[in-house]
Amino acid sequence: MNESPRAIPSSYRDPAGFIFQQDGQVYRQVNNSGQAGYEALMQSGLYNFLTAKKWLIPHTERKDMVADTGAFTVLQPEQLAFTGYAYEWSFSMLQDAALLTLRIARAALDHGLILKDATPFNIQFHKGSMILIDTLSFEPYTEEQPWIAYRQFCESFLAPLLLMHYKQQQLPSLQLAWPEGMPLNLVSKLLPFKSRLSMLTYLHIHLHARMAAKKKGTIRQKPVLPRNKLDGLIRSLEILVQSLRCSNRNTTWGDYYSEAAQRQDYLEQKKTLVSQWSRELDGIKTAVDFGANDGTFSLPLAERSIHTVAADGDAVAINSLYEKIRGTGFDHIQPLIIDFTYPSPAIGTGNTERPSFLQRLGKRDLGYCLAFIHHLCIGKNIPLQKLAELLADSCHILIIEFVPKTDEKVQVLLQQKADIYPDYHAAGFEQSFSTCFRIEKTATIPGTDRTLYLMRSK
Amino acid sequence: MPELIYIDPGSGSYLVQVIIGALVGVVMFFKNIKMYLLSLFRRTPKKQKDE
Repeated sequence: MNESPRAIPSSYRDPAGFIFQQDGQVYRQVNNSGQAGYEALMQSGLYNFLTAKKWLIPHTERKDMVADTGAFTVLQPEQLAFTGYAYEWSFSMLQDAALLTLRIARAALDHGLILKDATPFNIQFHKGSMILIDTLSFEPYTEEQPWIAYRQFCESFLAPLLLMHYKQQQLPSLQLAWPEGMPLNLVSKLLPFKSRLSMLTYLHIHLHARMAAKKKGTIRQKPVLPRNKLDGLIRSLEILVQSLRCSNRNTTWGDYYSEAAQRQDYLEQKKTLVSQWSRELDGIKTAVDFGANDGTFSLPLAERSIHTVAADGDAVAINSLYEKIRGTGFDHIQPLIIDFTYPSPAIGTGNTERPSFLQRLGKRDLGYCLAFIHHLCIGKNIPLQKLAELLADSCHILIIEFVPKTDEKVQVLLQQKADIYPDYHAAGFEQSFSTCFRIEKTATIPGTDRTLYLMRSK
Repeated sequence: MPELIYIDPGSGSYLVQVIIGALVGVVMFFKNIKMYLLSLFRRTPKKQKDE
């Protein structure tokens, strides 16, 4: 106890308050300048409305705490199990976050408040659905005031969604290049001509971009927007976002398991073995599944209340996992698009605002790396030794499947390139992994040349 | 509360909201007509009787 409060680097922008950490808990200080917005949220009934709908993270007030002298009060929000970012989300995740933002904006208006910012960083996937985590995003609505966050919404939600709708789903990483939103004039150029034929896309993106380019500089007189028109504006965004569908181009892994299922009962045998082994382990609370695909192996862990990060580089696979679990109250799984060889870096001011994926992941109790090693070692040329070190940093216990060169899937990989992997065989694998792990169990998956290992990091 | 605005709303974005706010009413009007016309050509699914 009594660790001094440590401000979290991601929350310095809004003067209404900031987040800090103390004794392993995350708190939010409401500054004196944020008092009006916060009190309006609580007294208008909006807080009760939003938390009852599970749209806003609930909190308790901690009058006994202060982080610094500018404090009006301190809030202790319900704690998040993991933080994911929009550049790691699939299409449907971003779409749901956008719809949530718009619904909250309209609910706020009904209660005499306005949502003052609209960024995906304020939304998290928590307990099976998207939720707003920034309690200080509201301020009293002044009659006839336009929506301050409109541009931010178009740039950071609408733009990437439209690009994914008109182009392809594998685009979430665009948001890594423009974490504060994509410039609308660029988006307008990137979108195909037919997007101009959609009235709402034309208005919110193309016309918006043109007006923004013309009207630079300070506002001489703030335009007037009556409340019903503002509501119509938000409603039109909602209709547009709702109408978007991710472009269904098949990726490499989108239907991996339906294809794998054709390979006799390989998948069933593997499931039985993995589940048996993981059930025998005691005290597992957190897990990571590298190459999770559509969550075939992550979901059983989450069902056992083990918080599981299901990471896969394939946007379609992660999207189908998300669609399977959203709204089902599955609260122990976090699907994220993560390319193992290019995990999200630390970004933002001082490289500290948004920590890297591996920083956020830390060392989990259990790690899965199933039918994945050949893609990393042969597909991406990661040496076995390097892979062992990476995995040993991410989990205490590892269940890993070794896929030898004789396997048909490896043969396919080797068809296109020279076999420059003399150490890629079971003995070489065991030798490399033994430097970081103690191998405790091995089993051949019946009917295949593939071997499962259970090992503990040294 | 302009002193609390910490993101740049953009003056062009303010103006475009006014235009869209006015247009949305018109767009919705035509959308409703379109939906009505489409509904005329769409067969209403008949309930199949159990035999």
